[in-house]
Amino acid sequence: MTVLQAAISGALAGGLYALMAVGLSLTWGMLRVINLTHFGLILVGGYLTFELATNVGINPLLTLVVTVPVLFVAGAALQWAFDRFGLTEFNSLLVSFGLLIATIQVVSNVWSADFQRMSADVNPYATQSLRLGPLVFPAPTLLAFLAALAIVGGAHLWLQRTYPGRALRAFAQDRTIAAAFGIDHVRLGALLGGAAGASAAVAGMLVAVDRPLTPSTPFEWFGIVFAVVILGGIGNTVGTLAAGLLVGALSGVVATVWSPATSPLVIFSLIIVALLVRPRGLFVRRVT
Amino acid sequence: MNKRPSWVRAAAAIAGAALVVAACNQGSASPTPTTAPPASPSATETADTGASPSPVAPSGEPIVVGSTLSLTGAFAATGAIHQIAGEQFVERLNANGGLLGRPVEWTVLDDESDQARVSQLYERLISQDGVDLIMGPYATPNILSAMAVAERHGFVLPQHTAVLAPLLTYSCQFPAWSIGPEPNVYVPTQLYEAVASLPEPPQTVAFATNQNGSTDFVTRGLPDDENDPDARSIATEMGLEIVADIQYPPGTTEWAPIASQLQEADPDLIVNNSLGVDTVGLIQAMRQLNYDPPLTFSLFPAPGPLLGLGDDGEGVLSVSIFEPNDAILDQYGPEVAEVVEEFQTAAEAAGLPYTAFETQATASWNAWEILVQGVEAAGDVDHEAICDALHANGADLTFSGQVTFDPAQNNFWPSNQGLKQIQDGDWVMVWPDDRAAATIQPVGN
Repeated sequence: MTVLQAAISGALAGGLYALMAVGLSLTWGMLRVINLTHFGLILVGGYLTFELATNVGINPLLTLVVTVPVLFVAGAALQWAFDRFGLTEFNSLLVSFGLLIATIQVVSNVWSADFQRMSADVNPYATQSLRLGPLVFPAPTLLAFLAALAIVGGAHLWLQRTYPGRALRAFAQDRTIAAAFGIDHVRLGALLGGAAGASAAVAGMLVAVDRPLTPSTPFEWFGIVFAVVILGGIGNTVGTLAAGLLVGALSGVVATVWSPATSPLVIFSLIIVALLVRPRGLFVRRVT
Repeated sequence: MNKRPSWVRAAAAIAGAALVVAACNQGSASPTPTTAPPASPSATETADTGASPSPVAPSGEPIVVGSTLSLTGAFAATGAIHQIAGEQFVERLNANGGLLGRPVEWTVLDDESDQARVSQLYERLISQDGVDLIMGPYATPNILSAMAVAERHGFVLPQHTAVLAPLLTYSCQFPAWSIGPEPNVYVPTQLYEAVASLPEPPQTVAFATNQNGSTDFVTRGLPDDENDPDARSIATEMGLEIVADIQYPPGTTEWAPIASQLQEADPDLIVNNSLGVDTVGLIQAMRQLNYDPPLTFSLFPAPGPLLGLGDDGEGVLSVSIFEPNDAILDQYGPEVAEVVEEFQTAAEAAGLPYTAFETQATASWNAWEILVQGVEAAGDVDHEAICDALHANGADLTFSGQVTFDPAQNNFWPSNQGLKQIQDGDWVMVWPDDRAAATIQPVGN
């Protein structure tokens, strides 16, 4: 039962990884931008949630009313700027890393480098859980899992069923041909960048609900989130969710059965093996 | 295809490179000097900073003290405390006549919590900037880096917080927060003695240990010495049954697996030899599993977030060398109360979420007093003389009393570290009895 519980807790936590990863994956896959500033947007989303809940008294979940539009605009503006300067994939990595560091410094200056955590009276979710028989579903990660399902599902449908989604996929496949058919990649890119920013707002809120914040937190996310993006297949929304759940569950089980200390070693070893076998990701169809 | 002109791409590449370079150098290039010789010292400003109160304003060439602190990166939260305490000390020192009648200027460089940068920056401070004195950085790995440079140049190094006493072999490094020469014995012994005084003492114990050097050392002793006593062997000696022994890597954020294992082991006492917010995550995960955490000890926590747990944090124990509880402040007198209040004001202004003058700030204050008293005893900024004077005379510390430095013990003086506990939403000194503001309580009281 302990192992099953660990798998469930891990998979739910994997929902948070998927939520963090989906915006990064989409902008990388569709727009050829490796946007490390996405981690900065998640961080800002977390701190804005903390600020609004602690000092304005808004329920942490309702802070999305403010943070989603704010980070949508930030994400769209960022993508517009990337496009305006015509950054290559590699240059986008460098520039967005610089912007991430700048964001971390601004957050440090505004909220201090010390740990910030919503107190129990403004954030009752941190210690709540849903119980089904002997199994426990912690509220913060359950919320993350549900949000990941909704956002990934929505993004998948948007890409498959709407004109902007199909246009983006066409643009990702062949920019020249897509442009010849009149696809406005600047506007579409800004829209996707904004959507990624909005997903960062949701992820940031859930991070703030689940754990204390420090400005240097994004560096803790790099390894696991990139692993999820690559295992899921770059630009593959459903694959990203599946990879998040898989990595989370596996990590939880290894930590319980073996040791938390060996969990990163086992997980990243498996990821290396998986990528050697399926270099384009576990959830991408083989091309024959 | 990309039809942007080449100059746009070049500009973007340059901007990207510049941002990265700026990021890598941020905060470290420009020192933050603290020059605060005041207009005139007040007769009432005679708080014991280690300096002799003087009615004369300091004059002449400033004595420059150089140091690094982790103003960004993983250690920045605590680095900020040391910065505020150090600035406060220097300001008061200058207000009371300075050092040897000269004003003191403190130059702080940001080491970005990077051990490698610490070495480079101390080398720069001593070799290029020509500082007169140095003060240690924050966190054990950084202090070890700084110590190597200090030893090479023969500089005296007062240091705030290094725990790995056996590794601090330089005879002119002077610890300001001593957990004794064997922290791996002192900390667990004191904890087990304290909890044994409870009406229903714990019978079983579980360990959850961060694999960081400082914390793992307390649980497991020195890695190359199987016979080195540690928290586990001492627990067994004192009749506690070990029901779980879990290690986790630094940076762990998923606590559910550890909480599950602790729930299954069901100990009476959890010893979480941890850093930062580890214990917050652990307690939260235990509560999510509907498992009421038993009596829990947290080795080196960030104090504020644990208080933020509300009722779930009640009863958590940790180590402390000073807590600003009313009963404690009464023991120290009005000058210490003034220092505590000043620090709180400065910390609030700096936006720190937890502003109490507690262990870290106390360690900082001790370190500055050691430096100042060494220089005053030597009568000159001569490192050999300062080092000899500190070995000969020790130091009289406002918060820790008279301490002596024995090179045979790596200058680690007999510890005055005690235990604090969260009671009614605040940290309260509870052990040992003679320095306690309240008695230790079981969980649920």
